[in-house]
Amino acid sequence: MKKVERAYASLRERVRMEWILYLLAFVFILIADSIGQIKIPVWKGTFIIFPIFYALFLGINAGANISIVISAGPALLLQEFGNLCTIFLAMPVALLLGLKREAIGATHSINRETNLALMQDMFGADSPEAQGSLSVYIVGGMVGTIYFGFIASMAAATGLFHPYALGMASGVGAGILMSSAVAALSEVMPAWADQIAAMASASETISGIDGIYMAIFLGVPLCNFLYRKLEPTLGRITKSGRELAGKN
Amino acid sequence: MTIKDWIFVLAISGLGMMTANLIGFDVAFSESLPGVLVLLLIALCAAGLAHVIPLKLPTVAYCSLLGLLCACPLSPVSQFVIESAGKINFTAPLTMVGAFAGMSISNQLKMFFKQGWKLIIITVLVMTGTFFGSLIVAQVVLRLTHVI
Repeated sequence: MKKVERAYASLRERVRMEWILYLLAFVFILIADSIGQIKIPVWKGTFIIFPIFYALFLGINAGANISIVISAGPALLLQEFGNLCTIFLAMPVALLLGLKREAIGATHSINRETNLALMQDMFGADSPEAQGSLSVYIVGGMVGTIYFGFIASMAAATGLFHPYALGMASGVGAGILMSSAVAALSEVMPAWADQIAAMASASETISGIDGIYMAIFLGVPLCNFLYRKLEPTLGRITKSGRELAGKN
Repeated sequence: MTIKDWIFVLAISGLGMMTANLIGFDVAFSESLPGVLVLLLIALCAAGLAHVIPLKLPTVAYCSLLGLLCACPLSPVSQFVIESAGKINFTAPLTMVGAFAGMSISNQLKMFFKQGWKLIIITVLVMTGTFFGSLIVAQVVLRLTHVI
């Protein structure tokens, strides 16, 4: 594992270098949480070291609900592998657009907090992989809720899918995305609203448990494999792709 | 990172969570404290495990595993862990992630905006792929197992 360690001679040196960042973080917490659900990212400085809490919360949440996992059936478990399909869709396009190693972080999963932490942990906070993940995290935070609700209702409108399946697909390991998809689906299929919500939260819970392991053992290796296979061809088609390839 | 660094960084995060929980959800510091301590302790143990165990697993993996073990029905402290952690609103720690995420892209802001349209395309594809991937698998398996 490549890891970028931040070298500080002592704790005092760390505090002297980083105190402003902590202070700012608190100011942002005050602002953001006063506003509520709308999150505003504000810019200043460089520092990321947040590997932990999201995974932890999800883990604790999952432990409390473990009986759902057992009773919810094979579909619920197998559809988790469907989440990996995104790699086949998004990775080639990311390479065509000229992304390099960033593409691995950006496309390995839906990139919510846990995945962000994971990429920083596996590749280092300054790595291109972590930057790719962070980018999709940020853009996802801005457009994600609107778009996720939209595709959910589009999928429902095709009439091809059962409400159970739609509910399960809504639980992807990101609470806000799930809520927006469930809200949209309940609007389109009011008679099924309860079942959709139940399936979504079961699937959400399972994603919370397995999401991180899926990413470590399947998502990232799959991304690495596709990257090795596709980058030499797809990554050299556009001008920006060729230029960046020379640098790496 | 030494253990001192870990404790310091975790303490900062703990304060951040409690602040977010207070401002966003009106949960008093004293009420959040046990839950935060539980989480921080698990995080610290995970960091220690990742350091000691020679497997190449990221710290987050240990964290998630420990959390799962502590809260599963077999654990003697599960009741306490679930109850105290339940006091902390799920989104309370996320505010801090947002804050640090924002700060960390600040020095590449120009690049970020220049790349913006690419990132939007990729994000949209990632979401579409994740949703339809699991939707199709769910539909097929539900059919095959005669649930629908």
